[in-house]
Amino acid sequence: MRTLLGIAALALAALASVPADAAEIVVWHAYRAGEKSALEKVAAAYNSSHPSTKVSTLAVPYDAFADKISAAVPRGKGPDVFIYAQDRLGGWIEAGNTVEPIDFFLDPETKARFIPTTMEAMTYKGTVYGLPLNYKCITLIYNKKLVSAPPKDSDELVAIAKKLTDKGAGRFGLAYAYSDYYYHAALQNAFGGYVFEGGAKPAINNPANVKALEYLLKWLDKDAILPAEPSTALITALFNDGKTAMIFNGPWFLGEIASNVQYGLAPLPKIKEAGDKPMRPWMTVEGAFVAAPSKNKDAAYDFIKYLTDKPAGIIMALEGRQSPANQSAYTDAKVAADPVLKSFHDQVEVAVPMPNLPEMTMVWSPATTVMNSVTRHAASPKAALDAAQAAISKDVAGLRKK
Amino acid sequence: MPAPPAHRLRFLIAVALGAVLGAVLLRGFVSDASRQVADEAQERQAVVTLQALTSLVRRAGGEGDAVRSAVAAWQSRTPSAPQARVFRADGIRLEASTAPDDAGDRAAPRRLRREEKPLYDRSQRIAAAVQTNREEQQARKPEIEVAPAGARLSLAGPLEKNGAVVGIVEIETAPLPLPKPAGWSGFLLALIAPIAVFGGLAFLLGEKRLPLLAAAVVCVAASLSWMGRAAVSELAAQQQRAAEQVAERVRDQATVTQAVATAQVLPGAAAAPGSWDVDDFRQPLGLLTPDGSVNPQRLAQAVDTAARELRRTLLGAGALALALLLLVGLGAFNLIGRSLRRHRQAYLYIAPAILGMVVLVFFPFTYGVTLSFTDSNLYNTGKAISDVWIGLRNYADILGDFAFIKRGDGGSFVNYLNFYWTLLFTIIWTVCNVTIGVVSGLILALVLNTRALALRPIYRVVLILPWAMPNYITALIWKGMFHQQFGVINQVIQLFGFPAVSWFDRPASSFLTALATNGWLSFPFMMVVSLGALQSIPADLYEAARVDGASRLQQFKAITLPSLRPALVPAVIISVVWTFNMFNIIYLVTGGEPGSSTEILVTQAYKFAFERYRYGYAAAYSTVIFGILLVYGSIQNRVSRATEA
Repeated sequence: MRTLLGIAALALAALASVPADAAEIVVWHAYRAGEKSALEKVAAAYNSSHPSTKVSTLAVPYDAFADKISAAVPRGKGPDVFIYAQDRLGGWIEAGNTVEPIDFFLDPETKARFIPTTMEAMTYKGTVYGLPLNYKCITLIYNKKLVSAPPKDSDELVAIAKKLTDKGAGRFGLAYAYSDYYYHAALQNAFGGYVFEGGAKPAINNPANVKALEYLLKWLDKDAILPAEPSTALITALFNDGKTAMIFNGPWFLGEIASNVQYGLAPLPKIKEAGDKPMRPWMTVEGAFVAAPSKNKDAAYDFIKYLTDKPAGIIMALEGRQSPANQSAYTDAKVAADPVLKSFHDQVEVAVPMPNLPEMTMVWSPATTVMNSVTRHAASPKAALDAAQAAISKDVAGLRKK
Repeated sequence: MPAPPAHRLRFLIAVALGAVLGAVLLRGFVSDASRQVADEAQERQAVVTLQALTSLVRRAGGEGDAVRSAVAAWQSRTPSAPQARVFRADGIRLEASTAPDDAGDRAAPRRLRREEKPLYDRSQRIAAAVQTNREEQQARKPEIEVAPAGARLSLAGPLEKNGAVVGIVEIETAPLPLPKPAGWSGFLLALIAPIAVFGGLAFLLGEKRLPLLAAAVVCVAASLSWMGRAAVSELAAQQQRAAEQVAERVRDQATVTQAVATAQVLPGAAAAPGSWDVDDFRQPLGLLTPDGSVNPQRLAQAVDTAARELRRTLLGAGALALALLLLVGLGAFNLIGRSLRRHRQAYLYIAPAILGMVVLVFFPFTYGVTLSFTDSNLYNTGKAISDVWIGLRNYADILGDFAFIKRGDGGSFVNYLNFYWTLLFTIIWTVCNVTIGVVSGLILALVLNTRALALRPIYRVVLILPWAMPNYITALIWKGMFHQQFGVINQVIQLFGFPAVSWFDRPASSFLTALATNGWLSFPFMMVVSLGALQSIPADLYEAARVDGASRLQQFKAITLPSLRPALVPAVIISVVWTFNMFNIIYLVTGGEPGSSTEILVTQAYKFAFERYRYGYAAAYSTVIFGILLVYGSIQNRVSRATEA
């Protein structure tokens, strides 16, 4: 009897040692490998320095992640914090009860620590909904054996590329997935193009977009420096075989480069014909969001603030190989010395956040049609864009009509 | 010996049940409508108060001491709204407040505290709503938020300066008076009168079925229509009273704001008080004249509309009650009850299955069909179904659009999103696939059926393999094989010196890829079915035919095909349905490329739901698909029954 009582007392004491009001924060993410362990390391560090909160992370397979958030979070079955890119943000906000606005928590110092455009990606109709964690965008990747100094502007680019192009031998000076609208957006933004104007009004057939497409046709036909039908697999093969000197691609591509290829990174060139404006790629920004039905919003915000702070940013950069959105992380000696992180940090200066409007999902399919028909000369840029504009306007109106 | 007829008793029960159902439903609907009128009147009065205060705050410059003293002066004259707060988004500042909590060190002006986040979020939400409505030039998001707070209402509307939203004005009303419940006397009368009258009539009429039926219907219908008529006129009177209450509030607030403005020497002219009576989108309701008295014409119109709506609902309820009466009176329930009792065990056995079907099949199905009558989409998933009800418009949009060839400046082109194009494509897809499946399956079965064939079991296993693999894996493998550069098919083509084909760039070649994949997947099934049927054909039939001198072809036509028919027809019916809805292959292999030209109906419905976020439209699309397959199934059923005979 006595031993039983003793055990009970011990058990009680053990229970009491955990603070009764410990807030439990569940974080959902879709990271794997290095990114996952870096995030877990940050969470562990937070747990040891904040005994009143217990953060646990859960990796969800990427394919199912967005749907899982849409289904679980509004019904109060989801996490307290989730990490996702900004492209679904608008949809979740419009659907309601998914993402908590954090504008109110956000003090000017916290806001100032991020690269301004990444903060913009987290903002929907004037309200901030999340803290930017990292960003991804495309940049110029070149083969050091073939190109000694990366081109600064379009004239240099075309000159170098023309010299290295030999269609008969299957060699191309430049290769990138130009018929993919995401990649083409860099050129489009250089000409001052856009998809939506005045909020969420589709305007894909604006004159700047037409000019950007016409300029792409110049590279394709007059300069003839690009391969036909540039699939991602083709670009990988060309670059690894040393058959193309320069590509435009993002951090996800670096893992596919063969070990014998000496590569360098540089910002995308300026375009002379666009008034010497730089190519401005679209960037996706992964943010940490507080779930609207969370019971511990204060603690959840505190954690995402920690997660996007400098020490966490350095861990995520060096171990997770991410480009942190926190500017001060780049002042760290090790991060600054990393050529890849530095190059993407240089590129992000001019990058444009991809629209986070829910209407954007209706753009992709018509825009793909535009890119395919224009690059195969099945339609003129203006006609193709007009058709896309009509299709997008119809879809958007169908969604909004009462 | 047959039991003596008990029509009188049965009809009496039927009348009682019908009267109870009718009276309960009517009372429910009427008190709903009356509560709605009462709620709406309270809400309108509160909105008028909020708008009056907002106009005052705006005239006081929107910030500073002028606003605080104006709000305080207004509060002392407005007991109907015991607290008001003015919030400025710039600086997250509580500009003015008359809430009892905001006194002492919490008095305005001050920065919001951390626990006051909801007020801030509300302001952001309203600012975004105003901006959205302005950009889209329509009223989609409520600009005045009305939320219940216990027995009170909490309202917030935008505070604007030079056309931009700079904050919100928030008020809380006094506890609302509880709605007066409707009287019971009418209800009881509508309940008892028909039973009593019918009792008397039944006594007079005797055991005659038809006269009893007529008497029962007349009794219940008369009492319900009397009850409904009374309710409709009561509702009109209530609406009249509500309008007067709102008008009174408008006049009251006009004097209050006038007095405050004069006392505080506020600049600017007073707005027309009648314009304070607005809906959630700040659009004038128009039920009041500019000076704030009731506009009798508009009110009469509104009363008319409401009466018509209520009458329609009540007619529905009455019809339901009469239907119950007929069912009970004519003995349908009696019959069902007897059958349930007699086959107790059978019903018990199928109960679990029925339960499962209800949860897994009937409920989702009904929900889907219901959704198809709404405009449910990404923007309104939170709303009740009745709020987004649009009737048959989705069906009209889908089925009424015949323009599948469009004329543009570059010649005419096919509109691939058109329903009829997709239907045509789906039918071509189904016919081609089933033909390929049956022909190749049958040929292989005939080959395998050769008696002297060596290693027959091994061939059979190998040929069934495509069927044994999960079809999405097969689909992905085939997609890879059709890859423009690395696909094995293009490699082979290039081996013979032809240029590589980019398969997914043209509708026809894209269609071919899906067709090849599905052909590969569908022949084993047809082969197994035909093989089974072939082996059951008695060999002596062929022997006899040979003795009679029939050729191989004649044997095939006269013996093999007819014997295969009973097995093949059901297999074809099933495979038509499978292929018609073969989501995986289209979605994974062609993905609808190029430009949605190779979409079949189900993948199109999927894209409407999950790429264009139009859930109601997609549900209507699916219901149409269901309708097509239902028609097909019933025709097939009849045809195959004919073949069995």
